[in-house]
Parts: sequence; C-alpha cells; structure tokens
Amino acid sequence: MIKKTLNSPKNYKEMRSIVMIKKRTFSGGYFFKNFTGHPQEKIDNCNIPSKVIIPLKQNFGNEVPSLVKSGDKVKAGQIIGRNDNSFSSPIHSSVSGIVEEVKKINYFKEVISSVFINSEGSQDWQPLKGHNSDWEKLSSEKIEELIYLSGVSKLDNQGIPTRFKSSLISPEEVENLIIHGVGSEIYNLSLPIFLERRRMLNFVEGVKILKKILPKAKLHLAFNKHQQNIIEEISKLLSGLKDIEIYSLEPKYPQGYDEILIPTILNEKFPYGYSAANIGVIILNIQVVLQVYEAVAEGKPLIERTVTLCGSGFKEPVHMKVRIGTPLEFIIQDRTVDNIDLRFIQNSLLTGVVLSDLKLPVNSNFSQIICLPEEKRSQSFAFINPGFKKDSYSNTFLSKFIKVKKILDTNVHGELRPCIFCNYCQEVCPVNLIPHLLFRYVEKEIINQSLMNLKIFNCIGCNLCSYVCPSKIPVAKYIKEGQGKLIDIGYDQTLCILPYFDLKGIEDYRGIKHL
Amino acid sequence: MKKLHLIIGKLYKIKYLTKFKPIFNVVDSIFVGVKDTTDSAPHVVDNLDTKRYMTAVIVALMPATLASIYFFGWKALAIIFVSYAAGGLAEVTFAIIRKKEIHEGFLVTGLIFALVLPPTTPLWVVAVGVIFGTVFGKEMFGGTGRNIFNPALVGRLFITLAFPSIMTTSWLKPFTDAVTSATPLTTFKSMQVVTPFSNLLLGDCTGSMGEIFRLGIIVGGLFLILTKVSNWRIPVSYLGSVFILSWLGNTFLGVKVAPPLFQLFAGGLLFGAMYMATDPVSSPFTKSGKWIFGIGCGIFTFLIRNFSGYVEGVMFSILLMNAFSPLIDHLVIELKYKPVKK
Ligand code: SF4
Ligand code: SF4
Repeated sequence: MIKKTLNSPKNYKEMRSIVMIKKRTFSGGYFFKNFTGHPQEKIDNCNIPSKVIIPLKQNFGNEVPSLVKSGDKVKAGQIIGRNDNSFSSPIHSSVSGIVEEVKKINYFKEVISSVFINSEGSQDWQPLKGHNSDWEKLSSEKIEELIYLSGVSKLDNQGIPTRFKSSLISPEEVENLIIHGVGSEIYNLSLPIFLERRRMLNFVEGVKILKKILPKAKLHLAFNKHQQNIIEEISKLLSGLKDIEIYSLEPKYPQGYDEILIPTILNEKFPYGYSAANIGVIILNIQVVLQVYEAVAEGKPLIERTVTLCGSGFKEPVHMKVRIGTPLEFIIQDRTVDNIDLRFIQNSLLTGVVLSDLKLPVNSNFSQIICLPEEKRSQSFAFINPGFKKDSYSNTFLSKFIKVKKILDTNVHGELRPCIFCNYCQEVCPVNLIPHLLFRYVEKEIINQSLMNLKIFNCIGCNLCSYVCPSKIPVAKYIKEGQGKLIDIGYDQTLCILPYFDLKGIEDYRGIKHL
Repeated sequence: MKKLHLIIGKLYKIKYLTKFKPIFNVVDSIFVGVKDTTDSAPHVVDNLDTKRYMTAVIVALMPATLASIYFFGWKALAIIFVSYAAGGLAEVTFAIIRKKEIHEGFLVTGLIFALVLPPTTPLWVVAVGVIFGTVFGKEMFGGTGRNIFNPALVGRLFITLAFPSIMTTSWLKPFTDAVTSATPLTTFKSMQVVTPFSNLLLGDCTGSMGEIFRLGIIVGGLFLILTKVSNWRIPVSYLGSVFILSWLGNTFLGVKVAPPLFQLFAGGLLFGAMYMATDPVSSPFTKSGKWIFGIGCGIFTFLIRNFSGYVEGVMFSILLMNAFSPLIDHLVIELKYKPVKK
C-alpha cells in the first residue's frame, strides 16, 4: 500500500493540499553554516566491544535497580534493570555475555550504578515477544507495552508516554506531539542518511504508531527547510492522516531546543524551567521515531544508537552505529588526527560537556561525539587577518562573503575586555533577554528582584550570548550563576511562569528533579 | 613572534618594569595573540575580538582621515599624531595606576577627536582637549564601558567652551591658507546661500578636518552598518528626523529654515550620526531606546541649528542625549519587562 502511494504521483497536487507545509522561524538565534568536520553521508557499524558498561539510568527517568548480579549470563536485548513503580523505563544488556560486576561509577556528574558485561562478541540479539511487522493488527495496549519493554520510551527529554510510568504524563494527556529533525547545531546528523528510502518508510510507520498510542495528540513534524525533498516526500506519504502538520523551519540555532520549538510551532509560551510534558507536549527526534518502529514491528530493544563522530579532530567524520555501553575509547580508537591535543565533547559544541574520561561508555543520550583540536597556538595580527575561514556573527570577516569551509577550534580568539555594549548578545538571544544587563547585575553582586523582573529564569542556557561576545565575557555562565544565587536566597523561579500555565504532572516533575 | 613573546616574558620579571605590565600586554597581544582556550561550554567562540571591532571603526574612518590629510597636509597629520600621543599617554597612565589592561577603545577616540577639530587648531589645544576627554569623559566614570558620554565629544566640548575664538571662527579652506569664519551653515544663516552639493560631498568647503569629505563618511558609515559594527537604527533615526523636521520647517516656516538635503549634508551631522551617535557605550542599548535616542538627537540638532545663536548643534545634541541614555534604557526596560509579583 505504501509503495502505491510512492509511485502514483497523479493526484499529487490534491494530496499536498491535505498536508500543508508551513514555514516558521523565531527571532534571535544564529545560523551556524559551513564548517569543516561534517560527517560523511554514510553509517558505519562499530564492532562489538569486548566489554560494555551499562549505566542503570539513561535519558528520562530515575535509576532502576539491577536484575542481574556478577556471574550471570545475559543475552543482548535482555532486560537487566527495571522498576515499574518509579518513573523509568527498562534497561537492556546491549551484548551477550557474562556480567562481571555491578558497581557505581561517576557518570556525567552523577553517581550511577552500572552493569559491567564481558561480551562474547556476537552480533545477535533477542527480539521482544509479541512484535508484529503488521503492527496495525496490534492493540494499543500491546504497542505501548512493546515500546516500554524495548526501553525506547525513555528517549529524549520527556520520554514517550505509555500506560507504564515512562513519562510524566499519560498518553491521553498528550495534546501535541512534535517530531523534529531541524539540525540547528554546528554539527548535525544528516537527515538524508537517516531517512533514505527504506528508513523513510519505517519513519512514516513510526509516526503512525505514535499517532495510534497518543489518540488525542495533534502531530507536528518539523524539518530543516533545506531538505525540501524529504519534506515533500513525507507530506506525500502522510497524506490522508488527520491532525497532522508539517513545518519547514530555518536551521537557526537553537531552533532544535524544546523551549524554542514550542513557541515557533505551537505559538505557545514555554514553561521555562519545567518540561514540555507539563503543558502536554512531547518532543521527539527522528532517530527515536525510527527506534519506535523497530521496537514495535521488529521487536528490537534499545541496544543500539547511531552517533555521529564529527569535528576536524577526526580523520574521517562519519555516522556510526554503536551498541549502548561501548566505551568511548573503543569507538574513537585511532580515528583521530595524530600528534595534536584534542578535546572530545558530547552532543553539542555550544552546550555539551567535555568527555574527559574516554573509558566511560556511550549511553542512549548520545547523538554526537565531537572532537576538536585544542588550539593553544596564538595567531599574530589576528585582528587584521582577512579571515577567509573564520566564523563570526559580525560581518567583519571575509568568510561571510565567500563560500569556504570554516575552521573551528577551541581558542578564545581575544582578550577579556569590559562590555562594549555591542548588543550582539541581545540580538542573538532566542528568548529576548538582555544578557549583558543580567551579567552586569550578577557581576556586581546585585542579586534581587530586578533580576527576576528581567526574567533571568527564562534563559534556556543556549550559550549563544557567550559565543558572540567580542569582549569574550562568559555571559551565559554569569547568568547561570545569578540563577543559582537567586535560588539560594529564596527566590522561587516558578513565580515567573506558574501564573500563565496549568501544568500537568507537576509534583512528579519536582520529585524527579530532586532525586 | 615566539621570540618576541619570550623577550616580553623576561621583561616582565625585571623588577621595576612590572609596573608597566599593561604596555607589555598590549605589545604581546598585538604581535603574538592569545593562547588561551575555552574552559567549558561553549567550546568554540566567535573569532571577533574588541581589537578587530575597533580596527573596523578605524578602517571606516580611513576615507575621512586620508581626505583630511590630502586637504590640509602636515597640519592634519600633526593634529592626528598629537591627539594619539596625548590621548595614549593619558590612557596608559590610567591603566598603570589602576593596574588594568589598556583598552583598544582609545584608538578610535584619538582619531575621532582629531577629525572633529578645525584644521587650524593649535597643537597644544589638541593635547589639552584629548587629555580632558579621556580623563573626564572616560576614566572618571571608571574606564571603557562605564562612560556615560562620548569621550571625544567631551574633549571637543571642553575646548570649544574654553577657547571659543579658536574653535568657531578660524576655518581653513582646503588647499589654501586662507582663514575664514564662514562655514556652509553660517553662510546660510547670514545670507541664505546654499553651498553646492558637489562641494559639500567632495569636501570643497570649510569645516572640521574629517567632516567635509562627506562621500567618504557615507561610505565608511555604510561599511560599519554592513559589518554590524554599528547599529543602523541610530543613523537612520537621527538623519531621518533631521530630514523630516527641516522639510516641515522649510515648507511651513519658509526660508529661515534651511532645506532638508542641505541640512543633511552641511556641518558635522553626517560624521556625528555615523561615528559618534552610534558609539555603543554612550548610546542606549535597547532597540526602541536607539530610536528614541536618534530622534532626540535629530530634534535637538534641528532646534539648535535653526533657532539658536549657534549654527552647529550636532555635538551638543549627542552629548545631551548621551546624558539621557541611561534613563531611556531604564524606561524602555520598565515597559518591556513587567515586574514579577512576589
Ligand atoms: S544563554 Fe540565555 S541569555 Fe544567553 S542567549 Fe541563550 S537564552 Fe539568551
Ligand atoms: S556581546 Fe559582550 S560586549 Fe557585546 S553587549 Fe553583550 S556582553 Fe557586552
């Protein structure tokens, strides 16, 4: 049936009128364009490592207790951690082998129990019971169960609501589901690769599955406006479905943030400091939808993740399919450029954390491993350099006028200076704050009501203000510091938002924040 | 360059030279550049720094500067030199006293100050003016970024008030040594004669050194706006309001008010609107604040020029509006950000 729609363009025009493509954008933000180190258009498979480390808390949810102990034999795809009574989704072993130990590790500033498994090296995995490639025959209950048992329900910021405690809200409470592949970061996964022919069909099926289990939800699909082919094809494939809208968005950072997607797409205020789920919105990215399909139709549990290795520190930046729990060093191996200092960063150059310990594993939250050269060498006369390969918000570099790949490195490119009120930070701030004013208050230790009035808690931490500042002031860091100090002296950030919203699942949310 | 860095590093250590650290730092940062890397997110930052930012302003001032040297020869060169030397001295002294870095801003202030002077200004007056501007216009407020007024304008206002005869009556026609007291604006005021636009644009008229080659000023101003170094809102609102007001005045009040285009191209208006009103530190930072600031400057310039004893109002209006900038910003923010109830 799907094939037929693909091959019959005769009533194409009519179909297009059913799924309208809307163009949207937001004020502020910045286009990161044309850098070296973009991943190639292919997906490599990473080998099975000899040992994996699986943290028992990944993505959305609380830590789950381990169901295995050292010496146990496990299969790839077997559930090794689960707790149906707390907000969480099951966690699986990603390889077949023997549990070496269960112990706590320091993982992204948290101490998390993790399962160490010595693997046999086989590629096989154990499928979920009850999956069906003809998923339309399955009941909603069964589908929800499959999604929950596959662990896919923990992905992204809010998780996927099922009748289990996999998200803050229940499936009936979801009013809007946003699926996006905007790609507004410096490095993004390549949409054409993720949605090439067969996967495109899987994706569309995945969307339909989600639609079935979230009966009240309106569907919003948002894509990068430069991917017109994909947008058109999807709108063709989805024609006939009700309550669905497709958006073509400018790939302007930070468009892919929940806080920005909601105002752009739904024209609603975001409850800053809370989760999108609290206003009945679930936001998922493309990869998750594909994994939903695989879980329901193929019975594949969440044991794999496609991450992109990008940045000029890699000899050959690529997309890679890796088993969850694979140590970073096993993935990176000798793919990096030799003989220079490198910095590894998780997910985003603007907000990501440094991966200092490469023995740590990949979890389901990874989408990118970025590697940049540490540029400790200085450059003479940089201020009169024509700058063919240098990026800047201002137009003072020639790179703005010619199309060349720009270089990225970690140098700060200038001395710390007092703020010169150039206003760049204010122009790029996606939520219309005045970063330089906020930073000035915090710097002078004026922590009081005026910061609240200036809506300091609306800052979404996109770090764009720090990026553009010519005086090299860590503006966003000051703002974060100010938020912390306000909370310390007893200000309640919810005052900024609660009057406007009727939030769902709020007690649970707070509980989770503090665990 | 590495060697230079090492030498500078050694010089630091010599005991009685440590005081002059800011000077070494400047040399170091110009010739050698920075080695530091970002310490946390964002891991990459923009390539623009304040040096390049100020360099862009200097580049934009180049047409006007070169034209002034072309028109007035060594006199112009000497004024620019003295302005830089004396201004630089004041800046460096303060940096050493305060144990702070030397900021690039003075490169711009020093040049702008020279360009708004009449070519006949005695060199000692230049020095007095620029030092006054730097000290009382900037350092008294706490240095770059804290000054309420544009330092170049403060210096200029000071010498205008202190030495009125030098500053308002002795103008030089380009390429000649003939001193006259007539500028296009005074000529209009006394005789209602409009100087031809080609003369105004190409600089064949009397006026301050840098403000007469107006074609170059327009080009430089556009350069600044296109590179995003200066914000378009102020020049547009400033020039626009002067244009509209003088058009209204000229239509309804008759020849007492100069025609709009002439007003735009005469005197220091273009220079002021493009390079001085746009000074980001002393103008409002909110968007609507910038509009109000520009329009305010326009109104004051129009009033002073046409209805007061003075012929030139650009300097006064910008300084006046500088004084209002904090208030304008404050009001705009009060309106925009509703207080959060406790
Ligand atoms: S970090 Fe906060 S203040 Fe800075 S640009 Fe982003 S949202 Fe605005
Ligand atoms: S970007 Fe930096 S220098 Fe410019 S206004 Fe903001 S804080 Fe000040």
